[in-house]
Amino acid sequence: MNDAQAPLTRAAILTLVTAQLAEILEKNPSEISEDASFSDLGADSLALIELVEALEEHLSTNAAGFHIDDEDLEGLTSVRDAVNYVANKLQVA
Amino acid sequence: MTLPIAVDAMGGDFAPSEIVAGARRALDELGLDVVLVGVPDLMGDPLGLEVVACTEVIAMDDDPGGSVRKKKDSSLVRAAELVRDGRASAMVSAGNTGATMASALLRFGRLPGVLRPCIATPLPNPGSTPAILVDAGANAECTPEMLVQFAQLGTAFAQAHYGIAEPKVGLLSIGEESTKGTPLVKATHALLAATPGLHFVGNVEGRDLIPSPVDVVVTDGFTGNVALKTLEGALRFVFSTLLRVVDTNDETRAAGTALFDHLMPVVNELTPERQGGAMLLGLEGICVISHGSSNATAMMNGIRVAGELVADGVVDKMRLAIRPVEG
Repeated sequence: MNDAQAPLTRAAILTLVTAQLAEILEKNPSEISEDASFSDLGADSLALIELVEALEEHLSTNAAGFHIDDEDLEGLTSVRDAVNYVANKLQVA
Repeated sequence: MTLPIAVDAMGGDFAPSEIVAGARRALDELGLDVVLVGVPDLMGDPLGLEVVACTEVIAMDDDPGGSVRKKKDSSLVRAAELVRDGRASAMVSAGNTGATMASALLRFGRLPGVLRPCIATPLPNPGSTPAILVDAGANAECTPEMLVQFAQLGTAFAQAHYGIAEPKVGLLSIGEESTKGTPLVKATHALLAATPGLHFVGNVEGRDLIPSPVDVVVTDGFTGNVALKTLEGALRFVFSTLLRVVDTNDETRAAGTALFDHLMPVVNELTPERQGGAMLLGLEGICVISHGSSNATAMMNGIRVAGELVADGVVDKMRLAIRPVEG
């Protein structure tokens, strides 16, 4: 995602989360809906940590030092949860 | 230029002293270049070996994924980064297995197309080539597609490391018939049989692990780990019972003495110290996971195995082995 200067939107965050998850789970992004739970997608705890690290790396271009607290991870159980969490953290409407 | 093998000096029940001693022996006895990764104040005498200093240690009971994220300057994470950054050819750790896997996964990355990495453990086969058990504990829950990939990775490993042209693959189940087993086993059986490039010979049972009629035993990580630990416990019980019986009286002690030279080579082949450790398959780097109770000999053998895998070019061979699995 090469949009360091572009304003981040919720839709862009959804696209990023979906793309990263698809890469980690070796799925087609079209197979991952916003409603999908991580368990239904087959994402185990290590896959979620892969996702978190990938999101931190990509989003640090928009917000230096962007970090997802490990304590918050337990509350994230679906794609929508992850998108809302990131959007809230970055104060994206 | 040959890169050194990165050794996590802080991981293991007998770290750092036995780990450092094993690393030194790997250099002295096997000629393998090593670099220790550890906390200098806790590590003691590095015995003249190169040290990459870090400040944190991941404990044996730390949460695997969380600890790798929180302890970024730990010996495990730094050892994985040495491999990722091209400063070491492989890493070896006797520390927290889950954290070792997480460090390697997050720092090396997966080979293209690999769903999940798996742990491959050699099953001793006295007088012959070991069989490989995949997965020995990395993935408690698996899909048939994952198990087929474990078979592909195990096959590539057996070819590269043991020189077996066409490794025989068996699926661990509760009966030889394809109709036996859980839904996962039955679905995997059908998929393995339909996957080209694999020499799948059918189901094997728990009694077929040592000695094994196949070269690669495929199972999910939960079953594999239970099977492996059961095997270790049973062997330990047999050895200790044998020693107790031998020590019964003068007559049995004399018989034991007479048999000692014949038994010891077999015992040595069956002990974890000799095997050196398990390998993580499916990643962009080599990681050997040694037994948590590794002594210096076990650690030296773990480093030996890592050196052999580097020489085998096993990562590149596994890269070629992964093919799409049609579920």
